[in-house]
Amino acid sequence: MDRRTFLISAGTAALVASTGGLSAPALSQGANAKVLRFVPQANLANFDPIWGTQYVVRNAAALVWDTLYGVDENLVPQRQMVESEEVSADGLTWTFKLRPGLKFHDGEPVLAKDVVQSLKRWAARDPMGIMIVAQQQELTAVDDRTWKWVLKKPFPKMILALAKNNAPCSFIMPERIAQTDPFKQITEYIGSGPMKFNKGEWVPGAKAVFEKFDAYVPRAEKASWLAGGKNMLVNRIEWVIMPDPATAAAALQNGEVDWWENPISDLVPVLRRNSNINVDISDPLGNIGAFRMNHLFAPFDNPKIRRAVLMAMNQEDYMRAIVGDDNKLWKPLPGFFTPDTPLYTEAGGDILKRKNIAEARKMIQEAGYKGEPVVCLIAQDQPNTKAMGDVTVDLLKKIGLNVDFVATDWGTVGARRAQKTPPGQGGWNMFHTWHAGADCLNPSSYTAIRANGDKAWFGWPTSKPVEDAIVEWFDAKDLPAEKTAMAKLNTAALEDVVYAPTGFFLGYQAWRKNVTGVTKGPLPFFWNVGKA
Amino acid sequence: MRDNLARPLTEQDVVVARELPDILEPKKRRSGLVGFAFRHPAIAVGGGVLLIMFLIALLAPLLGTVDPSAIAPSKRTRAPSADFWFGSDMLGRDIYSRVMYGARVSLTVGFGVAFFASLIGLVIGLVSGMVRWSDGIIMRVIDGMMSIPPILLAIALMALTRGSMGNVILAITIAEAPRVARLVRGVVLSLREQPYVDAAIAAGTRMPKLIFRHILPNMLAPIIVQATYICASAMITESILSFIGAGIPPSTPSWGNIMAEGRSLWQVKPFIIFFPAIFLSLTVLAVNLLGDGLRDALDPRMAKRI
Amino acid sequence: MFGFIFRRILTTIPVMGFVALFVFSLLYIAPGDPAAVIAGDQATPEDVAKIRAGLGLDRPFLVRFAEWFFRVMQGDLGTSIFTGLPVSQMIAQRIEPTLSLMVVTLFIAIFVAIPMGVVAAWKCDTWIDRVVMSFAVLGFSVPVFVIGYLLAYAFALQLDWLPVQGYRPIKNGVWPWFENLILPAVTLGFVYIALIARITRASMLEVLQQDYIRTARAKGVSQKSILFLHALKNAAIPIVTVIGIGVALLIGGAVVTESVFAIPGLGRLTVDAILRRDYPIIQGVVLMFSFVYVLINLLVDVLYTLLDPRIRY
Repeated sequence: MDRRTFLISAGTAALVASTGGLSAPALSQGANAKVLRFVPQANLANFDPIWGTQYVVRNAAALVWDTLYGVDENLVPQRQMVESEEVSADGLTWTFKLRPGLKFHDGEPVLAKDVVQSLKRWAARDPMGIMIVAQQQELTAVDDRTWKWVLKKPFPKMILALAKNNAPCSFIMPERIAQTDPFKQITEYIGSGPMKFNKGEWVPGAKAVFEKFDAYVPRAEKASWLAGGKNMLVNRIEWVIMPDPATAAAALQNGEVDWWENPISDLVPVLRRNSNINVDISDPLGNIGAFRMNHLFAPFDNPKIRRAVLMAMNQEDYMRAIVGDDNKLWKPLPGFFTPDTPLYTEAGGDILKRKNIAEARKMIQEAGYKGEPVVCLIAQDQPNTKAMGDVTVDLLKKIGLNVDFVATDWGTVGARRAQKTPPGQGGWNMFHTWHAGADCLNPSSYTAIRANGDKAWFGWPTSKPVEDAIVEWFDAKDLPAEKTAMAKLNTAALEDVVYAPTGFFLGYQAWRKNVTGVTKGPLPFFWNVGKA
Repeated sequence: MRDNLARPLTEQDVVVARELPDILEPKKRRSGLVGFAFRHPAIAVGGGVLLIMFLIALLAPLLGTVDPSAIAPSKRTRAPSADFWFGSDMLGRDIYSRVMYGARVSLTVGFGVAFFASLIGLVIGLVSGMVRWSDGIIMRVIDGMMSIPPILLAIALMALTRGSMGNVILAITIAEAPRVARLVRGVVLSLREQPYVDAAIAAGTRMPKLIFRHILPNMLAPIIVQATYICASAMITESILSFIGAGIPPSTPSWGNIMAEGRSLWQVKPFIIFFPAIFLSLTVLAVNLLGDGLRDALDPRMAKRI
Repeated sequence: MFGFIFRRILTTIPVMGFVALFVFSLLYIAPGDPAAVIAGDQATPEDVAKIRAGLGLDRPFLVRFAEWFFRVMQGDLGTSIFTGLPVSQMIAQRIEPTLSLMVVTLFIAIFVAIPMGVVAAWKCDTWIDRVVMSFAVLGFSVPVFVIGYLLAYAFALQLDWLPVQGYRPIKNGVWPWFENLILPAVTLGFVYIALIARITRASMLEVLQQDYIRTARAKGVSQKSILFLHALKNAAIPIVTVIGIGVALLIGGAVVTESVFAIPGLGRLTVDAILRRDYPIIQGVVLMFSFVYVLINLLVDVLYTLLDPRIRY
């Protein structure tokens, strides 16, 4: 044959050989059966759950690091790494004992000194940890499996602090890693959790890979949220980050991914129609939408004007903007605490049911509004804040306030909201955000409800009744006392408008039918999730 | 008489040449606007569509529209109907009204960028071409600016201040101006060598007059043509910026940000993207057509071809 | 020739220096604080300040710039603020997908557009010409993401011929790699095809006017030969120029295409970094883009000499 024909055939042969034959389409099972491909809510940009407290970091960290205690689905703290604990009669000395046989991913056993150092790092960043350290005498290891925490004042909520699912959780790391400054990132990701983090395959922004840790010893009890036995039924979990919800929906329909953490509600009907996909609520504790007004500068330094806004706003508008047409996904929220939880209260919430624009306009005029512009920071790259922002701008215009709509990105909002300068000079009057319902159960981790002026969260509300009610809750000895304190807190917080709750909303999660064991919870739980 | 050399030569051509009379009889020309339209179909069609879009933008309040930023979340994502001619978007706003008012923004962005980029590029290119010692430095700076992908530049500029129409225009202008500068400089450099310029300088013509009388008029054609392409490209870039989240905030509707907002829903509610996409495509097509037509009409060399 | 290349590289250095300074300054003035994002919602201002100090973000401009610049000279692009990984590693991870996308796009675009342009020039003024050109113009009248969604819907979801998203590295097989890139490349290529087809047509028309074409035709050379052997080669220069310029355009389109098709490339890396204020990554990537751009310009210029022997530097 001539040269051309020879070259062409050789080339084709080489091509076919290099492909290893035509590959099967992405949907084939078999080799893929034990790999779970999960689409998380956001990019896993960093992986230090104490240094970076974003939800997605905590969710990934729960796979790699184990906690001392964990809350179950009833929000009751249960032992996890701890075998037993003991508190002295005066409530000042806590002694803990580790379960036997716990190992880190590098083969080393988990020792009390690792726990002590991890707790020190954790307590430097966690609000409850900071409170404990403020009244601590000492935190030391007693022997290889025992350590004690001696306090100067009793702290009854110790176990809750160590069990809670709000970031940062009490993840236990090897001592040498936990010695990293809490304001700097760790560089090694060794834990004692059921999965190992494959740092070599990590492509930040695109992919994160976790592999089963065979030496993990799960507890005997049934798994329930962060408590119980964390049995892994798959060998490998791949987190595939998809910036575009439409693409994620298509990929789920096509079988290219198995589980999507937060499909947008408008796409859910399409997913439901697909006979291979299940859709259900992801987190019964949901989220609370919010916007915060700056108490330091006009016009929102005037409580009457703040209350006028509350009086005019329609939570249904906000919620529909976020969740769409599905009525199962939202509830009006006449307060600041998560519905369907023991401490939920609606005390003082009538003002949010008024939705009276005309009355609000009048109130603003009477309060002496002089036309000061309302600098409203709205992050365009977060769908929730973007949607709420549009509703707010419309609302403020209707009640007669001058709006200065600053459309920017979340990073800028994060920086600008920390400025206490006047709004015209790099400050702000209003910004939007939202809180996980799991963080709004009670005042313990609820930084956003505090009203201690300068030390409060952005907006810097000052309200003695609110602070008093919070102290009352911390001191409460039983449930009825807690409830009374909560009612006082809710009323005071609404009276003073610590912030404006825009409603309670839930989200869906979607997974393919061949994935079993997916449960509802404040974070995606990968234990007992199998793939047929 | 057009000479299409792309086809094989035949006897006909030779015959025609022999029968040419001494004085060429003028070819019959249709007069007026219609004649113009026939001779330059590209300009006619492109200009016509563009005119329609301008009228839409101007007369938007009179075209049966409602307030484009009035939200009604209880009526979100409704399909086109008597209430919402083009449907409603994720916040219940009327898409028809937003598309009509969006014409204003998209056209402003397009023509704003075209104008400013051309102006700035013209000035820089002129300086670079005429003032020899500055040429090296300016071109290096231009090279540097051109090597930064324009989209990234625009996002960075947006992050610098805030999203707004002015910033979008500024960002895209900064991204497009270097190309115009390059073009202008190239033309100036070649014009500078022309004998008539030499003659003018020899005759003592001062710089400003040199520029305005001799150089500028010859540059106008390529700049105008380039400007139309920039206009088209700017309108598309605006939609891409909105897609990334760095565009004009939705309280001011533009075809770009209507599409960007509705993009996640294209599988279930395609009408949100469909209508602005049609209008944007038609306008961009029209502008490109106009540019092609102008290029052909203004460049005597090219006019010979088509 | 080599003298020319050397001189070119020499002039590149001030260009890149300018770009580096420009980008650094831009980021310095940009509002937004990565430390605040990292610290999270519960952090106190003191916490945020400590994190900033830990990242070295509280030092003055010149100090930071000088330190970064010297490290770049030594080939160290620094570490990402968020991930703590070296910037060069993060870029290296993401280069392959973007490069693959660009190469396949260029390939498809050139092989579709040039014949389109040649045919349109040959059949100039007929309906073929108008149809081909309208088709081409459609390419840059519709935004990239609209095309992307349409293609994904039609070919991936409905017909199930191709995957919807993702990227598979070439080391796992050439066909899977190519399969994942077809739709994104066609999407991105639309704009490119339009541009190249137009310039090919215009350039070909100009060349076809020349005397030597008339001579060749009079000699009886075949149409195909005239078009491809004689005309195209001489028309190549503007075409090559446009291809070079187009690469910069591709980068912009790539950002969108990578988002729509979930390709873990540089475009997305940069956009994410900008929105998060991960300065080292932004600086590293932009520097790299400039370098590539300058390299491509150089390549184009060198290609000129090969295509047109009259051009000498």
